[in-house]
Amino acid sequence: MFIQTLLTGLAIGGIYALMAVGYSLVFSILNFSNFAYGSIIMLGAYIGYYAMVKLGMPVGVSIIVSILGSATLCYLNERLAYSPLRKRRASSLFFMISAMGTSIFLENLVYATIGARFYSFPELFKTHNLAFGGISIGLLDVFAIAFSFCAIMSLNLFLQRSRTGIAIRAASYDIDVCMLNGVNITALIGLVFGFAGALAGISGMFLGMKYIVYPTMGWITAKAYIAAVIGGLGSLPGAVVGGVLLGVLETFVSAYVSSVVRDVFSFSLLVLLLMVMPTGLFGRFLEEKV
Amino acid sequence: MNSLTVAAKTKPMLELKAVSKRFGGITACKDISFDLQQGQLMGLIGPNGAGKTTAFNLITGVYKLTSGAVIFNDQLITGRRPDQIVRMGVARTFQNIRLFKRLSVVDNVCIALDCHETYFLGSAFLRLAGVRRREKAIREQALEYLNAVGLESKAYARADSMPYGLQRKLEIARALALKPRLLLLDEPAAGMNPDESLELAELIRTLHRRFQLTTLLIEHHMDVVMALCEKIYVMNFGLRLAEGTADEIQSDPEVLKAYLGEGYKRAQHS
Amino acid sequence: MSQYFSGILSLGLIYVIATVGLAIFTGFTGLFSLGHAAFFAIGAYTAAILTYFYGVNFYLALLAAAAASGLVGLLIGYPTLKAKLRTDYFAIATLGFGEATRVLLENLPITQGARGLPGIANYTSLPVILAVAAVVIWIAWNFTHSRHGRAAIAIREDFVAAEMMGVNIFLGRLRSLIFSAACGGIAGGLFAHYFCFIQPSMFTSYMSTQFTAAVVAGGMGSISGPVMAALIFISVPEILRIANIWRLVAYGLLLVLIMIFRPQGLMGYREISFAFVKNFLGRLGKGGKA
Repeated sequence: MFIQTLLTGLAIGGIYALMAVGYSLVFSILNFSNFAYGSIIMLGAYIGYYAMVKLGMPVGVSIIVSILGSATLCYLNERLAYSPLRKRRASSLFFMISAMGTSIFLENLVYATIGARFYSFPELFKTHNLAFGGISIGLLDVFAIAFSFCAIMSLNLFLQRSRTGIAIRAASYDIDVCMLNGVNITALIGLVFGFAGALAGISGMFLGMKYIVYPTMGWITAKAYIAAVIGGLGSLPGAVVGGVLLGVLETFVSAYVSSVVRDVFSFSLLVLLLMVMPTGLFGRFLEEKV
Repeated sequence: MNSLTVAAKTKPMLELKAVSKRFGGITACKDISFDLQQGQLMGLIGPNGAGKTTAFNLITGVYKLTSGAVIFNDQLITGRRPDQIVRMGVARTFQNIRLFKRLSVVDNVCIALDCHETYFLGSAFLRLAGVRRREKAIREQALEYLNAVGLESKAYARADSMPYGLQRKLEIARALALKPRLLLLDEPAAGMNPDESLELAELIRTLHRRFQLTTLLIEHHMDVVMALCEKIYVMNFGLRLAEGTADEIQSDPEVLKAYLGEGYKRAQHS
Repeated sequence: MSQYFSGILSLGLIYVIATVGLAIFTGFTGLFSLGHAAFFAIGAYTAAILTYFYGVNFYLALLAAAAASGLVGLLIGYPTLKAKLRTDYFAIATLGFGEATRVLLENLPITQGARGLPGIANYTSLPVILAVAAVVIWIAWNFTHSRHGRAAIAIREDFVAAEMMGVNIFLGRLRSLIFSAACGGIAGGLFAHYFCFIQPSMFTSYMSTQFTAAVVAGGMGSISGPVMAALIFISVPEILRIANIWRLVAYGLLLVLIMIFRPQGLMGYREISFAFVKNFLGRLGKGGKA
């Protein structure tokens, strides 16, 4: 039972971690909360669903379509809603409002056009279970763990090793200095949003397959925000740790206490942690320059 | 006069005891110790990055000390919040002007005056007669402080619409409105030409006397510092370099080396 | 017909009350609450339960609603504001708070869960709402023109400088949050006794969004702006009979457009006053002559 719960928790935690990383990645560069990210994840799930069910594409291809689609949307989101503010050097408050607006716009656009209907992916993996040593785990969960792990690892490798990755990390420290050193910031930010969108596509697909696809499924991403804050906004290792931690703890709470307490629990955990560590587990400590 | 000085000596207004501040691996201030007698006007000078503003931030509680102690008016203020320290009678201005930019000039001063205001939230909600009276008094008082720095004609302009020099004066007026006993001025003459800075020095001297202040001044304009300060403390690389009267400092070889570089010594020898 | 308009006006004014509350918090301290519907819900349930189960006088119930929401505001604000969370962290904490409150309302026996409370007495009438709205606006105006209001504004403009003016940042923010929560509570109490039926699904993040949209569109740091915006947001779509869902699509788009083209909103950092109207008419006159 314990190991079973742990594995289920890891599967959910993996998806949380994916979302939290995408969200934190944007934060690390532009220093604001991209609240539109949840809607991009939701749209990723819809794109994947359409590709797979309506167009009859195989799973692998659908995932790629969803990744490409979400990456494009995330990129457009930046171009249309954030880059005008960036050019004006607006404060992060304005970015946040613009992100909220985008999120409200996208979610309700889906409501108004596609409708509030629930869609569910075909039962591809749900019924398949792997059993070993008395423990049984859904094939989907195994995929989720493996896929999240690979995605995060390859992103990490890219950020650590490639020239562009190093430029992105440099920009997260000081965007102006980076620009003065000849980095094309507009292209770089576009790329970061593209990556975040790709992660949104993957997590959207998994969320859709695990649960159902509907317009407000983006609320699950509130968990991703919470996970990212627990880990410390802008820190990618923090986002991974926060996501996995939150997923595992939540699963234990719903397994051993009750699933009703679960959401109240994650919120209380967040507040308690922030009281002790106001910048999360791995957040950069920013002392105001006076 | 003499007995007064002796009495004051035993009880300084501000006392820094081996104050240090480290940011990670960088030591911004190390073992800074000095004291300031009541009514004194002291200068804090040193090249850029010497740790002068850090010292201000440590006195006012913006940064937490790594070690050492700050004693103000016989009370240990180390570890207190900035707003508590302000209420005890320490006010400051900022090197990189921090006015409430979008508010009017007079409102900037009103916010400072509120520091000593005591009417209750409940009466504020209902705007009782007492509150209206107090508000009127606050406004009148604010205009008096603006008058003291010569800004009364700009009272209703937006703070950030004024030229830099006037904004610095507004910062001084705002700090005065906190009714401090100790005033910390962080480069009040920055960006001013020699004439303007001497005029400002005159203003600082007048205010220092009129409001019976004890003043600590960071300044790069040496003519201002030399004209105003009875005592000067020199910092370099976070350390104490020298301490003394204007004349002593001007002839101190260490100080000249820090300001003019090694070349100065060679020039003197030849 | 007149009943139709009084209906719109009643609903509009209930929203005005809650929006004024949020304007005092978000517009005057610069912190974002993404869970303000929770205060509305707590007020609605407190008042409804008191009149419905215990036969308490309606006006006392309204006061209790304000007190209950204010108390919850204190409980949620104390730990989060004490920790001096940065804007994004605080916004996410309130997002979690909003969700957690809704989950609790769906599961507590006294709130009758997701079914909600039907058959609440219809005590709210247009004159009552009008009177309450007038009092709330008057108090809010007094607050912003007092030392407490100035302290809040100072915190929003530059919290380091505010602290150096002897402003206790924690208390200043907490005061605004409690006031704001209490306004939400009163609006909720009026709402419950106007519709005579409440259920948790009424108080989702969409409601929080409407309040936030009205504050931002009306202008941060203003009371008259958000009041007008709230009235326009409720009445115009109602009169034009725009479907609820397209309304939200428009709100989202509007927020983004405002951030791009007019970040100060309708009345940013200003109030409609006699001098303002005179000035405005004067400018119109000049424009006419030219």
